[in-house]
Amino acid sequence: MRLGLVIDLDVCVGCHACAIACKEWNASGTIGPLSDYQPYGAEPSGVWFNRIRHYEMDEYPNNKTVNFPMSCMHCEDADCVTVCPTGASYKRAEDGIVLIDQDKCMGCNYCSWACPYGARELDRSSGTMKKCTLCVDRIYDQELPVEERQPSCVLTCPAHARMFGDFDDPDSAVSRTVRERGGYPLMPELNYNPTNTYLPPRRKPVIPVETQPKGGLKESIKQFANKLVRR
Amino acid sequence: MHPAFSVIFFTVASGAGFGLFSLLFIADTFKLGGGFSQDQLVAGGLIALALVAFGLLSSTFHLANPKNAWRAFSRFRTSWLSREGVFAVVFMPLALIYLASIMFDAPLWLRETSGFLTAVLAWITVFSTGMIYACLKTIRQWNTPLVPANYLALGYASGSLLLLLGAVIAGLDTTPYIAMAALIMAIAAVLKAIYYFWIHSPGLSSTINTATGITRAKVKLLDTGHTHGTFLTQEFGFQIARQKAGLLKVVVFALGFALPGLMLVWVFTQQGGQWAAIIAAVAGLAGAAVERWLFFAEARHVVNLYHGAQRC
Amino acid sequence: MNAKIKLENHDAQEIKYTTCYMCACRCGIKVTLEDNKVRFIQGNRNHPTNQGVLCAKGSAGIMKQYSTAKLTQPLMRKPGTERGEGIYEAISWEQALDVLTDRLEEIRATDPSKLGFFTGRDQMQALTGLWAQQFGTPNWSAHGGFCSVNMAAAGLYSIGFSFWEFGAPDWDYAKYFLMWGVAEDHSSNPIKIGLEKLKRKGGKFVTVNPVRTGYSAIADEWLPIKPGMDGLLAMSMVHVLLKHEQFDYEFLVRYTNASWLVVQTPGQKGDGLFLRDENDQPLIWDIDKEAFRNGIDGDIAPALFGEFVAPDGRRVKTVMSMMVERYLDERYAPENVALECGLPAETIERIALEMAHVAFKETVELPIEWTDVWGRKHDKVVGRPVAMYAMRGIAAHSNGFHSCRAIHMIQMLLGALDAPGNFRARAPYPKPIPPHQLPENNIDIINAPNTPLSRPPLGFPTRPEDLVIDEFGNPLRIDKAYSWEVPIASHGLMHMVITNAINHDPYALDTLILFMANMAWNSTMNTANVQDMLRAKDPEEPGQYKIPFLVVIDAFHSEMTNFADLILPDTTYLERHDCISLLDRPISEPDAAADAIRYPLVKTDRDVRPWQEVMVELAGRLKFPAFTKPDGTPKFKDYPDFIVNYERSPGVGFLAGWRGKDGTKSLKGEPNPNQWQKYIENQSFFAHHWPDNQKYMRFANKDYLDVAADVGFVGKAEPIIMQFYSEPLQKFRLAGQGLYDGPQPNNQVDRERLVKYFDPLPMWYEPLEQQRVDKDEYPFFALTQRPMFMYHSWDSQNVWLRQIMAQNYMYMNARKAAEMGIKDFDWIWVESHNGKIRCQVKTMEGTQENTIWTWNAIGKQKGAWGLKENASEATKGFLLNHLISELLPEKAGERRVTNSDPVTGQAAWFDLRVKLWKAEPGETGSWPQFDALKALPGDERYERPEVLRYDARSHEKN
Repeated sequence: MRLGLVIDLDVCVGCHACAIACKEWNASGTIGPLSDYQPYGAEPSGVWFNRIRHYEMDEYPNNKTVNFPMSCMHCEDADCVTVCPTGASYKRAEDGIVLIDQDKCMGCNYCSWACPYGARELDRSSGTMKKCTLCVDRIYDQELPVEERQPSCVLTCPAHARMFGDFDDPDSAVSRTVRERGGYPLMPELNYNPTNTYLPPRRKPVIPVETQPKGGLKESIKQFANKLVRR
Repeated sequence: MHPAFSVIFFTVASGAGFGLFSLLFIADTFKLGGGFSQDQLVAGGLIALALVAFGLLSSTFHLANPKNAWRAFSRFRTSWLSREGVFAVVFMPLALIYLASIMFDAPLWLRETSGFLTAVLAWITVFSTGMIYACLKTIRQWNTPLVPANYLALGYASGSLLLLLGAVIAGLDTTPYIAMAALIMAIAAVLKAIYYFWIHSPGLSSTINTATGITRAKVKLLDTGHTHGTFLTQEFGFQIARQKAGLLKVVVFALGFALPGLMLVWVFTQQGGQWAAIIAAVAGLAGAAVERWLFFAEARHVVNLYHGAQRC
Repeated sequence: MNAKIKLENHDAQEIKYTTCYMCACRCGIKVTLEDNKVRFIQGNRNHPTNQGVLCAKGSAGIMKQYSTAKLTQPLMRKPGTERGEGIYEAISWEQALDVLTDRLEEIRATDPSKLGFFTGRDQMQALTGLWAQQFGTPNWSAHGGFCSVNMAAAGLYSIGFSFWEFGAPDWDYAKYFLMWGVAEDHSSNPIKIGLEKLKRKGGKFVTVNPVRTGYSAIADEWLPIKPGMDGLLAMSMVHVLLKHEQFDYEFLVRYTNASWLVVQTPGQKGDGLFLRDENDQPLIWDIDKEAFRNGIDGDIAPALFGEFVAPDGRRVKTVMSMMVERYLDERYAPENVALECGLPAETIERIALEMAHVAFKETVELPIEWTDVWGRKHDKVVGRPVAMYAMRGIAAHSNGFHSCRAIHMIQMLLGALDAPGNFRARAPYPKPIPPHQLPENNIDIINAPNTPLSRPPLGFPTRPEDLVIDEFGNPLRIDKAYSWEVPIASHGLMHMVITNAINHDPYALDTLILFMANMAWNSTMNTANVQDMLRAKDPEEPGQYKIPFLVVIDAFHSEMTNFADLILPDTTYLERHDCISLLDRPISEPDAAADAIRYPLVKTDRDVRPWQEVMVELAGRLKFPAFTKPDGTPKFKDYPDFIVNYERSPGVGFLAGWRGKDGTKSLKGEPNPNQWQKYIENQSFFAHHWPDNQKYMRFANKDYLDVAADVGFVGKAEPIIMQFYSEPLQKFRLAGQGLYDGPQPNNQVDRERLVKYFDPLPMWYEPLEQQRVDKDEYPFFALTQRPMFMYHSWDSQNVWLRQIMAQNYMYMNARKAAEMGIKDFDWIWVESHNGKIRCQVKTMEGTQENTIWTWNAIGKQKGAWGLKENASEATKGFLLNHLISELLPEKAGERRVTNSDPVTGQAAWFDLRVKLWKAEPGETGSWPQFDALKALPGDERYERPEVLRYDARSHEKN
């Protein structure tokens, strides 16, 4: 198995729902708590696994705003794992999820240097690196209803811009969607082979219009013939 | 990249320490300039070891969870950071054996073998330090063989200046030491110059377009999704103005190469003696520190593309 | 190698379902609790509103529950301190309610109008309105007047339902979606769910908005309109549709008043009113029978076009003919509005024709049999799959009512209403046009001591006689709603209350109760001056404030609480009973009538009480008839008891589900003592799913209307004929012209406004403020929106949400900024006719060139909302509000008039014009700044650490 996410840039409205749901689940989840610095102070900041950025493409008035959620890509060739000196970072053989063993991490930040996607954030309080677990403590929890065994970001996304599934299975919904919509990885030139895949904005639908007016202008109001239409 | 003081100190000090130790072995083997005495060799070796040890110690200061530092040796097979740690740790006892064999007049083969192995390990360790950075595909400015080459060259250069200082203090014939330092520094300077020229012209690199996959139009950051800094901006967001970087490169060359070079001439012409050697060593180390700061400051992690950089 | 993954200990957990209150969307939430702590809040999959999804606010509800801004106990301003100093003393609830009861008893026994009761993000207006009515004061409203009454009123005077909460796009079948001026909305999650559905099926999404963020980001086409020009754009689209004869002839004939005949006797009484028969029924010309016939009847064949002569000799003309004459005028040709709208003429024409194409060439037909209200059977439902939605960007202009009506006009022309794929009604709507509910205006009843009003304070006037004014034409309400100045102010004018009360215009208040409304900060216009007004003393009554007693009910330490004389602390939404009633603002979806409840999930750890509970108690103490038994004792034990047993009419109460003694009846039935329990068992909501034959065309659907009449949604099962032409508006206009048999205004300003703005057909005029300011001096439009993760939220700056945004910037078009030499993060001054502010700039592509905008309500007063004084919200965040006046710029010889829509009184937030320039070097930080709020008694319980590590499972860790 190769579990990961599909992010649909065509419909992501940038509402940050996934980011907060992630924060909420993981604050009390297997990797929590997640520190918040200066929570009431001048410059609030904290540990997040999912951040939503906003870009603009092209120029006014042809510009388009693209909302861009990013979390761990669970790369096939995850340099963050390769470079980790302690063995805290690892990629699970059975499902490809990249995790950090909090009991082993020494907080050297090196893995975060190796990650091009900014997926890893140091929790200064625990002194350990943290990141998206793909809600590994949800997706295998047999006590949760089947439909809820999904990452919390996927469960919550109001625009259904996030899908979770097995990329190894060519018939899975994620694999099919990626094929149909031309999904792509980020920064492919680095050869990390990220699992998470982004769907580009769809092409604008074309609607045929007939621009030759039928009727006349104000003076020709008489052209509007009454029709016999009964209520 | 955010230039962390502990890491700068660590790489400069340990580089100099490893360099000094390796060159000390060469000086000992070939009895350069008449050769150091046993006590001088041991003292020099201990100074080198101290530099290495303090460097290593300081590197743990940047760990957020140092209680797990011992685990850093466990990923020798894949991680250059782990390798560096392992080599550095193996270096220590070997180095001590070498120094002990000098002190206690051990058989020459032991002295030569341990010395040789120590020197090789020193080389490998500094190489590994360089590779820690060079293996990162995320930072174009680092992802080049020039980085380990630079680390080695600068380590040896610093070491050679320290060794020269030792030779001056010990009253040896300084000519071979001056020649060695001059040679290494010339190599280091050339390598550094190549490196600076190389990172100046971007060539193919990741851009905000490849980072977002939006390749058909200009892409601009609108909002990062957080008002204030995050771990990512603190760690990777550091930016240095082009002008300031240029100025600092002048400082690197002036302090790291030109001034020590001039001092070499002074020592050679017997004008400066001890003071010139001290100035050369201090300037060399200071130049290396500035070089190291700049090494971090000029490194542009690709995550900055997501924070609005057009290319890295 | 793999570490063992620790899963949840479900044995220690409890799952409960309730309703979110982080905004007005009111989604169903599933809350996982552990040790009375909130572990996880997620969307409820079974809930009709959000279907399992949840927005950022909803998930951040945890941090609202654990906010350090929560009030902890009732507080009284310390004697001897001044209002606004923020120095308080704790008092008991008993003391607090005694003080309040004494005061209210006195007012009620003398002059009930001296009480003003206004509510903000209130989700129980049916109760607060009932309470005010029972008290006997007309001075009640919620915040709709400064929110979106233009949308509600325009819809309810045109189509019988509306944007806002009374209708929704039919996402399942829509193929074209045109969104007007929507940043985020009350139905935030349904819109997000819907947009994805639409796009997945290949539908086209077009957005009309000066700013491209949020929903507009994902639009297939963006129309960057100049603010306030939407109505002109809509009418130009109407021009194109008429020019190309692209309208639904049958729909117009059957379901609208397009064929009704309008009297054409300019300058005479009766001009512009419908030709009516002896039974007051509007007439049409039947082209089959060649006779004038009742325009409401079935089996007529009306002429859609034409001029006729009535039997009494007056000339009459069909509404449609009048529309064609007006909208085919070259004034509305795309090329003639392009410059004003800031959009290419080609685009305007194309969008109109695209809609026509989709409506008429890509029609959706569902094989559903239904019967119309005239008894005719139909074997299918025809849907014109062009859906629209519109909100604040239309509403918050002084021409918003007409602009919104113009949008409804497009919908009617396309026949794209309450059918598959277009804009559909949500129960209890549609209602008669306008709804049959008039505001109380009997001065004797209003003035009578200890007497409830005979009708609710708010309603829908149809003629000048319905105004709430005295015999001299003076307003009877403190906010002047339903006066000649703003005759159809159906949600009141909360934004005028403080100014009017301070000016004793029309009279002075004694006590003002504000619930959950930040009228001293981001919910008021002219913030800095309003704070001064709240502090103002009455020169005639030394020592007394102009508003003598100010009661604030809130759960959080807001800027408003700082001005209260008495603070009554509310609970959070997870700590109380609540109901989201069909009598109020529905959560129904087009396919189901629905309501919901909240009940306490978390034990309250402070001395706070839910306001609805307190209201029921006060109603008992004050012996309101509806709350009191004949023996004078309170009728209801508490709020839950009230909700179950109060009946507005027999069988109709606050909750529609599980009614009847045994809980088997829906929508209508006797009170059920176990009703709360049934709701709790059913995940805290009730949904009555409409059978297929009652789902569509409900304005004329017999089976639906029969049910609606039975359960009290409408009075009678009669057709709801949509109104292109609004006769009520014409009656007011006639009054302004002096041609009305009934009340007429005697002030020239009022007369002019009525003549000018009460056009019975949708019109466009330049926003009022813009008519009075120099556009060369103030070249920019300025407006605000709320970010999605804070929209309509009660306490937005919680620990998680504020990390996303702790400072707002002024956004402007990148090219424009470059022309002015302004760069990202420069500090600038922005000035309007009313004041100036300093703020920081960010540039972007997605902003119309003549517009600047910012995120609203990010700026906070120092010390408010549980934040430290150095919070960015206070030092760098800012409010645009300071620039916006609640009054129009003065005009010589004219009294000051509200900066609102002249028809509805909707606050005209977005009419603002400004100029801007770069601040001097060293001028940084937002300006103006205000004194810091002082900590309240009870605040010492909050730690506010430098690092917060929230964990519901803290007992398991470490």
